[in-house]
Amino acid sequence: MSALSALWASIILGSCAQIFLRRGVARGFTPGTGSYLLLLRSVWVWAWAVCFVFATGLWMIAISSMQVSYAFPLLSIGYLIVAVLSIVFLKERIAVSRWLAIAVITLGVSLIFRSA
Amino acid sequence: MSAGLVTQQQEGLLQGSEVRSVRKSALWQWAALGAIALGSCGHLLIKVGVTAAGHGGAAQSILSRIGHYFLQPAALGGLAIYASGTALWIYAVSQRNISFLYPLTALTYVIVALGGKFLLGELVPTGRWLGIAVVMFGVALLQSSAKGEAA
Repeated sequence: MSALSALWASIILGSCAQIFLRRGVARGFTPGTGSYLLLLRSVWVWAWAVCFVFATGLWMIAISSMQVSYAFPLLSIGYLIVAVLSIVFLKERIAVSRWLAIAVITLGVSLIFRSA
Repeated sequence: MSAGLVTQQQEGLLQGSEVRSVRKSALWQWAALGAIALGSCGHLLIKVGVTAAGHGGAAQSILSRIGHYFLQPAALGGLAIYASGTALWIYAVSQRNISFLYPLTALTYVIVALGGKFLLGELVPTGRWLGIAVVMFGVALLQSSAKGEAA
């Protein structure tokens, strides 16, 4: 597995993890020891944990042979991926101003991407 | 420096008593900055750990490579530092609105790139610095788009 494909896989898995976590905690979560334990009953929270661990592992594969000053800021393309996934799977609405911000981030990511 | 983080706009939003308590203990500001510093250091240390571990050869399966990396002392240390940064972050978030705190995390991109350049000897071309600046600007915009949103 090449470093770049590990990086993309890590970013996509990490973004999915965020969607799963939101799905798992969206309904009536209030912080407290009991409620954290209750989260263990949620299949979504488990999906988040598994994705998170694998995303971290793939991230380590990526940076083992990549510059960290290159790979790390590329992670911010996750903002775009999470936005798209949240529309599709969580039915979230995204304001025009937020799309504008995400477009700016994506422009920055493309500049970083070309600086390999 | 710590006082500078409370903008006039922020102070305007606070109740009188709250302003006093913020001035008395600016712990949350240090917690937020500490979280960002620890998060950045954590990633740099993970990088040191996995670089030291080597590529492990293309023949190895992804799972065994991941397992191998998770057992590297420097990578483990980096993960632990990153986790302690997250704990500080949770404290900071409990004290201040996420919409104020979140743009600060964009600092991580600069700190990691600086660490890559000065600690790890990476060559960082001008285009990459420009890209990082654009991303940071975008993250700040993202947060201003969240103002006035309920959840």
